Amino acid sequence: MKKLTAMIMAMAMTLSLFALLTGCGSDPSTEGTSGTAAQGGSINAYIWTEYVPESVIKAFETETGIKVNASFYSSNEELYAKLQSESSDAYDIILPSDYMIEKLVSQDMLAALDFSKLENFKNIGESYKNPEFDPGNVYSVPYLGGVAGIAVNTAKVTKEVKSYADLFDPAFANSIVALDDSRAVIGLTARSLGYSMNTADAAELDAIAAKLLTLKSNIKLYDSDSPKSALISGECSLGFAWSAEIALAMDENADIEIVFPTEGAYLFLDNWAIPKGSAKQDLALQFINYMLKAETMVDVLAEFPYVNPNEAALALLDESYTGNHAKNIPAEVFAKGEYIKNLDTATQAKYEEIWTNLKK
Amino acid sequence: MNKKLKKRIFKVSGTSFCALVYAFLFLPIVVIVTNSFNATTTKPYQTWKGFTFDWYVRLFDGSNASLLDSFKNTIIIAVTSTLLATVIGTLAAVGMYRYTFRGKSVIDGMLYIPVVIPEIVIGIALLTIFALVNVPRGMLTLILSHVSFSIPFVIFNVRARLAGYDNSIEEASMDLGAGRIGTLLRITLPVLTPGILGGALLAFTLSIDDVIISKFVAGNTYTFPLKVWDSIKSGVSPAVNALSTLILIGTIVFVVLTQSNLLKSEKRKSFKKKRKAR
Amino acid sequence: MEKHSRHQFRSNTLPALGTVGPVGIVLLGLVAVPLIYVGVMSFCSLDQYGNYIYQFTFDNYKNLLNPSYIQIYVQSLLIALATTIICIVLGYPFAYLIARTESKRKNLLYMLVIIPFWTNSLIRIYGWRTFLGDTGWLNSLLRGFGIIDAPIEFMYTRGATILGMVYCLFPFMILPLYSAIEKLDKNLLEASADLGAKGRKTLLNITIPLTKGGIFSGSIMVFIPCLGYFFVSDILGGGNSDVIGNLIQRQFQKANNWPLGAAISIILILITLVLVKAYQKAGGDMDSLGV
Repeated sequence: MKKLTAMIMAMAMTLSLFALLTGCGSDPSTEGTSGTAAQGGSINAYIWTEYVPESVIKAFETETGIKVNASFYSSNEELYAKLQSESSDAYDIILPSDYMIEKLVSQDMLAALDFSKLENFKNIGESYKNPEFDPGNVYSVPYLGGVAGIAVNTAKVTKEVKSYADLFDPAFANSIVALDDSRAVIGLTARSLGYSMNTADAAELDAIAAKLLTLKSNIKLYDSDSPKSALISGECSLGFAWSAEIALAMDENADIEIVFPTEGAYLFLDNWAIPKGSAKQDLALQFINYMLKAETMVDVLAEFPYVNPNEAALALLDESYTGNHAKNIPAEVFAKGEYIKNLDTATQAKYEEIWTNLKK
Repeated sequence: MNKKLKKRIFKVSGTSFCALVYAFLFLPIVVIVTNSFNATTTKPYQTWKGFTFDWYVRLFDGSNASLLDSFKNTIIIAVTSTLLATVIGTLAAVGMYRYTFRGKSVIDGMLYIPVVIPEIVIGIALLTIFALVNVPRGMLTLILSHVSFSIPFVIFNVRARLAGYDNSIEEASMDLGAGRIGTLLRITLPVLTPGILGGALLAFTLSIDDVIISKFVAGNTYTFPLKVWDSIKSGVSPAVNALSTLILIGTIVFVVLTQSNLLKSEKRKSFKKKRKAR
Repeated sequence: MEKHSRHQFRSNTLPALGTVGPVGIVLLGLVAVPLIYVGVMSFCSLDQYGNYIYQFTFDNYKNLLNPSYIQIYVQSLLIALATTIICIVLGYPFAYLIARTESKRKNLLYMLVIIPFWTNSLIRIYGWRTFLGDTGWLNSLLRGFGIIDAPIEFMYTRGATILGMVYCLFPFMILPLYSAIEKLDKNLLEASADLGAKGRKTLLNITIPLTKGGIFSGSIMVFIPCLGYFFVSDILGGGNSDVIGNLIQRQFQKANNWPLGAAISIILILITLVLVKAYQKAGGDMDSLGV
């Protein structure tokens, strides 16, 4: 028995020693919080899954000596919930979509960006500057955009699929991988009925709720993070997914095609921003400036081929990106589509109810 | 003859039933270990692309630093919370066994709460209170949470040991002039050791595998389970499988060593007993 | 305890405080107060931004009666019930066979039940996904042998969720069963056999009644966690077979409606209390829940 004791003690001690030895260096809270240091320090980034390549973050770390502690969310709502529950200095970098920027600004949760430290902002195309959700780009700079498109595995789907409405066809029972995102799925249904994705009309919402139930039996799987997996493997022959996920699935599986719905697609533009409580805004600005570099964006797009607002990067990209309509999405798709808007609390509760009803 | 045959059939079917259950328990382990040798480099790393040791190399070449960091966090949290829970829990078990005081039944009842209530409720309860008093979420909150859910298990284990404990030795010790603390250290603790160790081991096991409570109180800190949770979203990298395989091998080696030691010392004890009996 | 010697009565308060004080602080600060606060929050309202404010309302509880929520409670209870039954049906004969084996390897057999659980549970659940997916091991195997043409859809179903729950919670059924069966007096079973009782009769009249404590505590330890294990339904159910845990998690980590999440948690606590009370009524020992 004594030996057992000794052994467990020894194990505990070695483990804690190991942990202590390797632990001191990387604990973010012990690092300098001066913020002015050009070298060293660390920032906490809260970003979308499958959106910023690890290699890019690593390259930033080696270049600047700033460590990036990245954690990931799968929807704007998840980001918002986390920002609300954590202490205000928990994150230094976030990557909200259009409507979420507006919501965070309205609650005074974002820091105004110091553009004197963002010289690479000039790389952003004029059409992406001064967006409706953040006039004058006071709080945000664009990173990537895209649509929630339809993926069709033509080897398995013989019927023609042209619109969001086609996804409701009972012939497609149990074959769709859909985004696990309430606004996107409810938006899809709204568009299929000819409504706005942001409707607050009670009658329209009732119609959406009813229509959505017919989609339930067609959805096999909800996956916002990597819907391409189920598409590539053939587990799902149809997908409602972010455009780059579909583009990547197309690269892997030649049977897969992207369809931009005739009703006009769900559009999004994701943007870098800094929470107001961040104590390391200078480091965060360095990070954003690095992400705005043309060369950085080329690396990003190689891994996550979304729509690129960085004009300087566009010049460096080859045909495999610029010529691919799933990656470099045509302007008319954007002209026809719709962005998400914020809802009042009562409407939001209604949306949540519709969503729960779908997911039960 | 017939009876014998029947017995035989019974035995064979019993053995094969057990084998099937073991197969059920070990099947995912086989999948995990196999996939750690998968040469695939494309997400979601599901298709078999040939055999390689690469992922074990990549685990330590710096490309998986965040994964190793998360594992380190898990170990720090598990060791710290186990030590704290074991000390606090052992003291409490002894105190509650020995003394009568007001509120004892309240404490006794409260001990069962973390044990029976679903972890998610504990998780959100801790989250709300940490948010209320504005404790930054991270290592500290993780350790506090893990201490709170593992203490009862330590107490139950020690208490089980105390149930068969003979008070008179302690009294004798005190009668012979040893103080309370001396008695505690020299008499009580050694007797309780197996219970304490059992409790500690349980606390450690619960801590390293906890995902539900950690998910709510971790803030932007990653533990190994939380890292796995994140990687499941986009396809688990074989590097995670490789690390899991190494952990598994480590625990098996540990068990084999301690168990064989345990067996040996048990044997020695029974041998001594026999000799004494003569 | 009354017969404890004179030493115990000298001064009880100080040593009692010293030994039990720390645990009291932990239980108060990290168990009692947080749970009470959850109760308070379940009566809070939301402001226009969806943040909770201290304004009394019953709305959260009214919202719990939403038919789609009720369907999730029912579904969750059914999943937990199915999981518990499967665990008993598989676990009882299994525990019996390893507890009563005369093999020298009894200890090893016991350890083999525990060892898989030292690997992270999420990644083991993910292992099932790799095994059962449409292009997973099993379907590939069956297709390779020409047994099936199209893959069988195991994944993203309620069945897959139940499988995952059984897998995660199986040892919590085995451990109490094992210790209950091991304690059985062998002579009793033999006597029953000697008196001419058939195997089945012995099982029904002696073995099972004497080990029902193990069955009860195993059931409690399987059923209750099942209601909260949201990660299993997330990974294997594909979001199609949510349990109450998913509902709570969504309110706290996605929908940002803490008061509603708190109210659902209160319901979950009540369900737990009812089950535990029933367990105690049936003569269950609370301490055996903490294996």
